[in-house]
This record gives sequence, structure tokens and C-alpha cells, in this order.
Amino acid sequence: MSPKSAGLAKKMGHTDVRVFLAGVPGWKKAGKSVVASEKFVQTGNIVLVDLRSKEEYEAGHIPKAHSIPLASLAAKEDSLPSKAPIVVYANSFVEAQQGYNLMKKWGVKTGSIWPGGVKSWAANGNKLATGPTPAAITWVRQLGKGEVSVAEFKKAMEGSSTQVILDVRTKDEVKECSFKNSLAIPLDEIEKRISELPKDKEMLIHCTTGARAEMAKNALDKAGIKSRFLLAEVECSQSKCEINE
Amino acid sequence: MQNKQLRKWIPFLLFTGLLVGGPSLSGSPALAADPAPQAAPQNANAFTGKITGKSNKAKTISIEVQGKNEFLKFDDKTTGLEHAIEGEAAIVQFEMRGADRVATAVKPKLATLPEGVTEMKTDELASLIAKGPEEGNYVLVDSRPAARYHEGHIPTAISLPDTVHMATGDAYLPGDARMKKTTLIFYCGGFT
Repeated sequence: MSPKSAGLAKKMGHTDVRVFLAGVPGWKKAGKSVVASEKFVQTGNIVLVDLRSKEEYEAGHIPKAHSIPLASLAAKEDSLPSKAPIVVYANSFVEAQQGYNLMKKWGVKTGSIWPGGVKSWAANGNKLATGPTPAAITWVRQLGKGEVSVAEFKKAMEGSSTQVILDVRTKDEVKECSFKNSLAIPLDEIEKRISELPKDKEMLIHCTTGARAEMAKNALDKAGIKSRFLLAEVECSQSKCEINE
Repeated sequence: MQNKQLRKWIPFLLFTGLLVGGPSLSGSPALAADPAPQAAPQNANAFTGKITGKSNKAKTISIEVQGKNEFLKFDDKTTGLEHAIEGEAAIVQFEMRGADRVATAVKPKLATLPEGVTEMKTDELASLIAKGPEEGNYVLVDSRPAARYHEGHIPTAISLPDTVHMATGDAYLPGDARMKKTTLIFYCGGFT
């Protein structure tokens, strides 16, 4: 928390200490962009987009970048994965910001700019790649903290001696469809009924999107019960539960 | 330096002196015994804490209050639901309906700044950034966890997570800032 840090700085004798209370959300809301670190561009699970011309891209680009010239970006909304952190660069910050703003409009949540383009990339001692852009943009989401993969979740549906599926949807939703081998407790009853959960097994929690499941996981964590949650769409189709990633 | 430190304490000493020495004061003396409680006192009909989740389908908000997750229902009459944002501090007022806690209003919990620290607004920060740290004579510090800094930070910021800052003091600040010659600006993930 920034006020806490500011308080420490004041205590240590700094005279001019300020806090930008609006923080990153306020900065973005004001229509301003954020920048990625060099480490994030090098090692992050990102989609990197080069907004310069095709010729400039082929002559030298940051490795793993995809070429989408700024003028054609508007037509590429569907080829960019909406959940991926997208980092853009161009010849100038202004051009990069135009691309960034357009993606913000699409609802890209974690977009950022690599501010120096290829120049600062090379100046920092990084190599450039040459040649044509990869045929397609492929990006695979990495599991977040506390998540269970769809594959492992499906395995547990077949019956597992060490894991139990916990369904935290409402009673009405459960009536429509439910998974095999699952235990149903609505999210708002979890705390009251936590003693019903087996203590020696791992709970794999699901709802219809993952939002409630994650909230339930927090409650289980506090109670010392081991669990992970499923971040995927769960839908009822002809009285059967189906998972869509 | 010595003088400055003392001057800083004078108002505080006067204030406690008044409280201790003046039993006729209307304020409760019990307050003086604990001038900085660790957590905000919890009102019987409101929770103050960090929002840990919101589900529109289950019409449920969860909020972390003194280390414990509390669940509340909400309905169409609940006001300020836009402030129920995961990870942000909020005050949730509620009423009991049967065994259920139903949120009536959600308000953002505004941060209180330490004494002598003032807020910087977006426009002022933007014009400093346009000048750059050297000409603008500032150091911008991102107090969030390092991973958040890497994926996207305000231009020209350095990363100094508050946990590291608390443990190391000024050790990771650049020279001029360590020498206390520059404006230090801190920010994090919003009003927390």
C-alpha cells in the first residue's frame, strides 16, 4: 500500500513525499497507458505486437513479436486472444499508444507498451530477429495460483480417491445439472457448513465461471482445507454439465 | 534535523498532554490510550475491509474483515455495487434479513494519508512524467508486488514493493532520493 510506504519515507526524513492515490486504475481510467518492463517482454507469457510496417518488421524485430501494422490493427480484433497480456511497440510512443488505446476499447485487460521500440531493445544488449511474421498467433493461458486444469478436473469426475468435486452454485442451478461425484454447497452457505467437507481430501471447486469458486477457495483456505478452483465456463446442456475453456 | 524531529512531535505531545491533563474534556480518555488501532473498528451493521470477490449470479459479495472472509447477499436495491471491486478496500453496510446479511450500500474506503504527505493528482503527475525524472526532480515508486510492476507500470516508475520497502528502508531508492533531495511519489493499485 502506497500510503504505508509514504509514511515510512516521511519518518526517514524525506521532506517532499506525495501519494498518487488514484494508482494504476486511475491512471488507466484517465486514458493513459502503462509500460512493460524489459524482463516482462523477455520472459512473460505475452503476445508481443510490432505496429510498424511489414518491411521494418522483417528487417529487424523483437523475437516472438507478431507483425500487425497500426493501420491494419483495427481489423485484427478477432485474431488477438482477449485474455492474453498484449504488449505493443512502434517507432514512437505516440504510435504505440494509439495501438494500446484501440486494444483498450476491445476490452484487453492487461495491455502495455514496450516504450523504446526496437532501438532501446537493441541498445540494452538484446538480439533482434529478422524475417517474416509467424503464421498465426498462438497463446496458451498458464494456470493461475490455486487453479486446477480442466484435464485434471475431468479426471476427478471419473471418481478419485483423493479429490472431491465441490459445486458452489445455487440450489436451482444444481437442479438443472451437476457433475458426477460432486458435493453441492452454495457459496453463501460454505462457511456455515464447512464441517461437512472431508478434511483429508483435496476439494476441486467449480461454479459457472470460476468467480464464485475462487471466493469459496478463499473460505476453504482460511479453514485449512486443501482446494483448487476451476476457471472455466460450466454450462448445462440437456441436463448435462459441460466445460468450455 | 534534531529540531525538525522535535517540531514534528510538538503537536502530538500537546495533544496527548491535553487529553491526559484535562479530565473535563468531552472526548473519551480511553481513545488516548490507543491512538493508532491496527484495524478499523467494525460497526455492527457495516464491514470495512478488502473486497475478495463478487458474484452477480449468486448475488454475493465477499469481503475480508480482520483476516476472515465474510459473505453478504446483495439485491437490486443495493447501492454502489460498482465499488465492490476485487482487491479494493470498501465499506459495506448491511441489514439482517432472517439469517442473511444483505448489503444495502457499498462505499469505497478512501485511504488516509500519513501526516505531512499530500495527494498528487493525475494531471500533476502526467506533467512531471512529461519532463522526466531528472528535469522534474522526482522519483516515482511503484509499491505493488514486483510481478504487477513488470506487466504494466506508470512510465518512469521504479519498482519497490511496500513489503521490501518496509524491510529495507531507503536502501533501494536511487541516490538522489536517498539523499532526500527529490520529490518522492508513491502509488499502488488504487484506493487501498
